Amino acid sequence: NMSSFRKALKSRQRNHHERSQPGFRKNLGLLEKKKDYKLRADDYHKKQNTLAALRKKALDKNPDEFYFKMISSKLEDGVHMMKKAEVEVTEEQKKVMRTQDIKYVEMKRVAEAKKIERMKGALHLLDAESKQKNKHTFFVNSKKEVKTFDLASHLNTAPELVDRVYNRPTLHTLETKSIQGAVDTPTQEKMARQRKHQYKMLSQRVDREKKLFVISQKIQTRKDLQDKTKKVKVKKETENSAAIYKFEAKRKR
Amino acid sequence: MRPGFRGDRGGRGGGGRGRGGFGDRGGRGGFGDRGGRGGRGGGFRSPDGGGFRGRGGGRGTPRGRGGRGGGRGFGGGKKVLIEPHRHEGVFICRGKEDALVTKNMVVGESVYGEKRMSVEEGETKIEYRAWNPFRSKLAAAILGGIDQIHIKPGAKVMYLGAASGTTVSHVSDIVGPEGLVYAVEFSHRSGRDLLNVAKKRTNIIPIIEDARHPHKYRMLVGMVDVIFADVAQPDQTRIVALNAHNFLKNGGHFVISIKANCIDSTAAPEAVFAAEVKKMSAENMKPQEQLTLEPYERDHAVVVGIYRPPPKQK
Repeated sequence: NMSSFRKALKSRQRNHHERSQPGFRKNLGLLEKKKDYKLRADDYHKKQNTLAALRKKALDKNPDEFYFKMISSKLEDGVHMMKKAEVEVTEEQKKVMRTQDIKYVEMKRVAEAKKIERMKGALHLLDAESKQKNKHTFFVNSKKEVKTFDLASHLNTAPELVDRVYNRPTLHTLETKSIQGAVDTPTQEKMARQRKHQYKMLSQRVDREKKLFVISQKIQTRKDLQDKTKKVKVKKETENSAAIYKFEAKRKR
Repeated sequence: MRPGFRGDRGGRGGGGRGRGGFGDRGGRGGFGDRGGRGGRGGGFRSPDGGGFRGRGGGRGTPRGRGGRGGGRGFGGGKKVLIEPHRHEGVFICRGKEDALVTKNMVVGESVYGEKRMSVEEGETKIEYRAWNPFRSKLAAAILGGIDQIHIKPGAKVMYLGAASGTTVSHVSDIVGPEGLVYAVEFSHRSGRDLLNVAKKRTNIIPIIEDARHPHKYRMLVGMVDVIFADVAQPDQTRIVALNAHNFLKNGGHFVISIKANCIDSTAAPEAVFAAEVKKMSAENMKPQEQLTLEPYERDHAVVVGIYRPPPKQK
């Protein structure tokens, strides 16, 4: 009969296979079919376990706990975002401040230099002890004259004045001219004291001027370093000189 | 109490910007470096008893500060010592200052802001001007102990490389009204300052010309006793020789300041000086002495010599 025929046909039929999720629909997840059961169960239990663990953690949480993140961050649409620190001084402002610093130091240095110049106008290191020695050469006509050369008689001055380089009056001057002005001993002693003090002030000013120069150089170097061009440090900064950098040559348009 | 310090401050106060209400009168008070001793009340020895002294003394208030206001630059003519120098017309001033000075020809005026100091000798008051050796090679040579500068009262001097006329003004002080200074300068800019100096000093004849071409100013210049040169040119000896041939009398002298760097910046300074001295000898200029200018200048020398020396007597 007909039914046996149908069965006979079925024996020749290809077995029906449960379809799995096609590759291009993989993103939609596993299909509900017998073969995927194990996978789905594992996934479910993993999630349950995670939830249980989180729940436990929440129950165990110390309500007094504190983290700095709690104040430095806030929720934005359910997402933790760090709060941005407020900018107090912009780069621009820093640059200007450095320029101002240099200008101030330079102003002070120039003032100092001018004072030094003025003081030097009346302080001529007449008998300063530590001054550099100069060299005095006399040209004479013969070797014999070299042998008999006597400085005091050549300069026509008193032998005891030979070392008083800044003024070796001639014998004629010594006889005919005299010293004018304050000649009494107490006044002279006082003037010598004042002179010494003036020289001390001068040397202090010279030192100060040098220091100010170093400072302005150092500030300037820091300012130059903000430049984006490539540079190589050539020399380290020291106590009395700024660091030296070599900047890559760049064509400016 | 630090009289020196106070004195300095007082000096500034009096220098044309008197403080507070004392103004000019305080300025003339003449306390000078003693200003700091306000505590002594009426103890000042001021020539004209300026306004402040009376007040301070009368109240009997010892105030050091007040004293400062009345100070005057140079101790009111009392507090310096003037010592005649080896070179006539030049002096050494020793007071609070320690300076080479010349007698000021134009009393009451500074040429380039230099300090002035005056001394009273009986009735007459003589004013001196500080001559800065850090600026002037000639001053540096004098303080370095040079034997002769040949620039003296009454001398006729040719000054090559006069620049703004700062040193020229001192040379003019030295030679005095009897002498003459022909100041040659090529640069118009510094020549302008030179002209201003010459306006006040009748013994300066300014010449704004190139010293390499002496024929351009030969009509202005007579024979001179000494040529001073500070031209800082590589051919400086030739320049001096040219001028010497034209204007320097036989047996006259030359004073040349040499900056080693300007002649040859690669050679050692000593070698440069020696080479220049040799060049001079070739031009009938016989060097007599040479002096380096430390501590005032580095690698500088001044050479002094005689032009066409008279033949030796046996």
